[in-house]
Amino acid sequence: MLRRLVFLLLLLPLACIDPYNVNAPDGERYLTVEGYITTDPGPHSIKLTRTDTYGSAFEGLIRPVVQATVAVRDSEGLVSFLTETSQGVYETPANFRAKVGMSYTLQIDLSNGQSYSSLPELVKAVPKMDSVSYRSVSVATDSRLLDRSGVQLTAHFKDPGDESNFYYWRTGPATFVVVANPELFTLSPNHPTNPRGAAPKDCCAICYYQEQRRVQNFAIGTDVDFNGLSTRKQVTFIEDDGLRFKDTYRAEVQQMAISDNAYRFLKLIEQQLSITGSVFDQPPANIRGNMINLADPDEVVLGYFIAADIDTKQIYIKRTNLDQKLLQTPSIIPDDCRIFPGADTAIPSDWNPN
Amino acid sequence: MKKNILLLLLFGFILSGTVFAQQKNIIGRDIGELKGIKISGRVTDQITGEALVGASVTVKELNKTEITNTNGNFLLELDRAEYNLEVRYVGYETVKYPFVAVGEGRISIRMIQEDFELDDVVIFGSDPEKNIRSTEMGAITLNMNTIRELPPFLGEVDIIRSMATLPGVSQVGEASAGLNVRGGGSDQNLILFAGAPIYNPTHLFGLFTAFNPDIVNNVTLYKAVIPAEFGGRGSSILDIVPKSGSLTKWGGDLMAGNFSGKLSLNGPIVKDRISAQMGLRGSYINWLLKSLNNPDLRTSQANFYDANGIVYGEINEKNNVTYSFYNSYDDFALASDTTISWKNQSHSLKYEGSFSEKTAIDILGYHTVYDYSIFNASGTNDFDLISGIKDTGLKVKFAYQFSDKNKFNIGADTKKLTINPGELIPNASTDSGLLPKKVQSEYGQESGVFFQHDLEFGEKIGVSYGLRYDNYQYLGQRAVKEYAENLPISPANVIGEKNYAEGEKIQSYDGFGPRASLRYSLDPKTSIKLGYNKMYQFIHLISNTATIAPTDIWKLSDQFLAPQIVDQISLGIYKNFRGNIFETSVEVYYKDIQNIVEYKDGANLILQNNLETEVIPGQGKAYGLELFVKKNLGRTTGWISYTYSRSLRRVISPFEEENINGGDWFPSNFDKPHDLTLIGNYKLSALISLSATFGYSTGRPVTFPEAKFDFAGNSLAYFNNRNLQRIPDFHRLDLSMNFKFKGKGKFYDGDWTFAVMNVYGRKNPFSLFFADQVGSPPQAFRLAILGVPLPTLSYSLKF
Repeated sequence: MLRRLVFLLLLLPLACIDPYNVNAPDGERYLTVEGYITTDPGPHSIKLTRTDTYGSAFEGLIRPVVQATVAVRDSEGLVSFLTETSQGVYETPANFRAKVGMSYTLQIDLSNGQSYSSLPELVKAVPKMDSVSYRSVSVATDSRLLDRSGVQLTAHFKDPGDESNFYYWRTGPATFVVVANPELFTLSPNHPTNPRGAAPKDCCAICYYQEQRRVQNFAIGTDVDFNGLSTRKQVTFIEDDGLRFKDTYRAEVQQMAISDNAYRFLKLIEQQLSITGSVFDQPPANIRGNMINLADPDEVVLGYFIAADIDTKQIYIKRTNLDQKLLQTPSIIPDDCRIFPGADTAIPSDWNPN
Repeated sequence: MKKNILLLLLFGFILSGTVFAQQKNIIGRDIGELKGIKISGRVTDQITGEALVGASVTVKELNKTEITNTNGNFLLELDRAEYNLEVRYVGYETVKYPFVAVGEGRISIRMIQEDFELDDVVIFGSDPEKNIRSTEMGAITLNMNTIRELPPFLGEVDIIRSMATLPGVSQVGEASAGLNVRGGGSDQNLILFAGAPIYNPTHLFGLFTAFNPDIVNNVTLYKAVIPAEFGGRGSSILDIVPKSGSLTKWGGDLMAGNFSGKLSLNGPIVKDRISAQMGLRGSYINWLLKSLNNPDLRTSQANFYDANGIVYGEINEKNNVTYSFYNSYDDFALASDTTISWKNQSHSLKYEGSFSEKTAIDILGYHTVYDYSIFNASGTNDFDLISGIKDTGLKVKFAYQFSDKNKFNIGADTKKLTINPGELIPNASTDSGLLPKKVQSEYGQESGVFFQHDLEFGEKIGVSYGLRYDNYQYLGQRAVKEYAENLPISPANVIGEKNYAEGEKIQSYDGFGPRASLRYSLDPKTSIKLGYNKMYQFIHLISNTATIAPTDIWKLSDQFLAPQIVDQISLGIYKNFRGNIFETSVEVYYKDIQNIVEYKDGANLILQNNLETEVIPGQGKAYGLELFVKKNLGRTTGWISYTYSRSLRRVISPFEEENINGGDWFPSNFDKPHDLTLIGNYKLSALISLSATFGYSTGRPVTFPEAKFDFAGNSLAYFNNRNLQRIPDFHRLDLSMNFKFKGKGKFYDGDWTFAVMNVYGRKNPFSLFFADQVGSPPQAFRLAILGVPLPTLSYSLKF
């Protein structure tokens, strides 16, 4: 007994992190610009919002900025207007694509009469990816019995040696096979005659689902570390939620060439996202973007307008190729797969796992 | 005849070395003198050989007491007779020395530190009235016996943390290694171990101090009026003096705690001539990490050790040589695939000699190395990143004593510094997609000449003044970028590059640093002191974190980064009450700091060849009021220290976009206006004691976001002005209980220490941060390093 007590005493954890209520000062509501245009066919979208106070959990919402006039102007003077497709989201025409070697500026006229412009962003050519590879990884979590696991994607490419390059990686829309077990369907527990009775369905076991993740991972890099080399970069981590990797998962990796200043902006974003409160954190930095108010250059405008050359690659991740030890227990859907919101039995036209 | 006297003296010397010298010693050459026989003597610490200043030497028969002077000497004038001499010194076992005075002669008394075997605890080790009588100001010496009485931190006595309990000294938070002395940055302290600078004396990112308390004799912190013999740092000197081993018998200490264990051994190699002291400490902290819930820590591994050796050789009574070795090593595998390791190593050799009673010379040579490396074995682009700093130095000091009240010293020092700011070595075996990169090494030479003169005019007035001239050279080989004039120093404004040959002077700085203090004693128990000092610092810690991290880079002053210059003026009043049982002081200071390094937003400091583009010089000012009350003697001992202070920074650049907080003064990362420490030690019985430490301080400044915005689905915070808000106040109570066991027969003396840190489990935030984490809305979080009461248990024995 005593021994057990001693162990208990010794095993107490030391550090802890918990939410804390602060009263952040009421700030001004700054205009925020988010979005990028690429050399891919459009539409490309730009989102305009206003900041809110960083208070406790549910206080304040980030509000869209509606009814603005938004246009992209290239270095040859050609102007393309964007149309507001949903609140605060402005899209370029579908045939709009940026050209390598051209500079672009974003111009915004708000309904309150204020005009904003970005500094010009030059589009530089991006090297093509040679391949995208994947491997299973596990991530330790607070609960040691339930470690997370998933798939790490790595982009392989050769950096051109004669120039300095700044890279930005994102993932495009992903599609995966939803595997259901309609034969396991049971009746509702409140069923009048046969509660929880077996009632196998004939359809459907296989659907396809295109997912949109709220938080989009991104990665950045500069060739200071690998100028002229064939190198690789871990681009994203896709968590195994028990559904994604039951059969085949198609991921899309986008590799973009961005400007020096855009890289610096994203670096600050990355730095802030990596803050853990530890003794090694860098102090919070003021993240300045490339937008200015034409009438009042001192006004704070957040966000960055990015123009980039892009290379896209798709990769099919098959369950059989993953490390079986690092897979989560699959979730069983004992029903028609079409009850999964957004899932469809139609095979996407470009689905080509082999 | 002379030979006989020598033999006699030697005999007396050996006997006095063993405490129980009950035999009568015959002192002096018998030439038939009857009256006015002059017998001189010296009182020293048996272990360290240091002179004991202010020891009382009582001739019982005559009821006459002499106090030893600053060299530990005393002089008696006696009639020819038998006497019983009793030598007392606080913190030491009383020595009884019976002798017969027959002629002029000399007595040597060696005293042993008592290990608190009395009922009372004594927490001054040196002259109890030193604070009043000496002209020295802002210097605090803690001997190890005092530090040992404090509650342990994570099972161990901690030297640097103990310093932070004194007024004017603070730390950023619970897991930070550096000290902030009177509003100065943690790089403004020079930490010396046996005279050699140690750059990062921490284990486990600052949870432990990398000095093994068992091999330390005493620690002195100079926070104002730093003696002219020290230079090169702006705020303080922390001088750690190691113990030397016993010249007479072998002994040692062994300790085991929850997280680490240590062993030290000392004894004579050649009896009465050469002694050795060795210490080794190692950790077994991995089990603690495995038990933590934080996933990053749980998958981490940590190892550390430190090892020390001191060899002391006595050439003769007037000349001795000490060699000291210090080594500390840490590695920390963060979340499995990245290993960070750092190590300090120093060697120093010191010769102390005296030509006559009045003249002494010290010669010190040292070599110290601090290295760190990051080893990445994640499987993708594996690499090693190594970096380090190396100092080699020499110091010579002559001291001449005109009289007890008129002392002078003069000397010179020089050191060569080499810094490797970083080298990236891709791991060839795994086909790494990284380029090797090496940041240019830096070379510097720092030299100084100094003198110091201490004078006393009667009992009332004392003056101490000194001057140090510092000369610094920044040397090649180096390629230096040139930037367009009238534009900010940034990569975009490079217009050229200039190459300097090896050893070629690139830039030099020099300056005079006066030090002065004045004492006026109102009465024997009260004095007022005024002091001023100016310090130059040619090395900067490039760290964009709030505390000392092993990944910090040291940077020498160059043509872009001028030396830090610190001016400090301080005034204090000191009073002792009730026969020195209570010691009190009130001090105020004002400090001005030039050329502090601040960072541009999002500065990129790692593997940066042109740091001048990432940093920006700032100004600092600090001022404060310090109150200190200490009870030195009795069943209850301890102290209260309270500091009100501010530490502010300002960055004004010719280019408005580089200004921080619009060019206004803003609080530094460690600006904590109120800081209170209460330390109490209560002796329940001769063998059981209780101690408690309570600390309170204002929360340190943080930056709150002004607004939130979205990017790529992440909620982000927009920060504008730095350090305008504060984290909640810090307070913590630590308790400890110590049981001693007296060794009987073949058993050794031992003691158990049971301690609880953070008794009432306050979650003192180390930091507040703003994050958008999976599963919760974007919000503020606090990180508490010690969020729960933490019990520790340790056992140590002495043999």
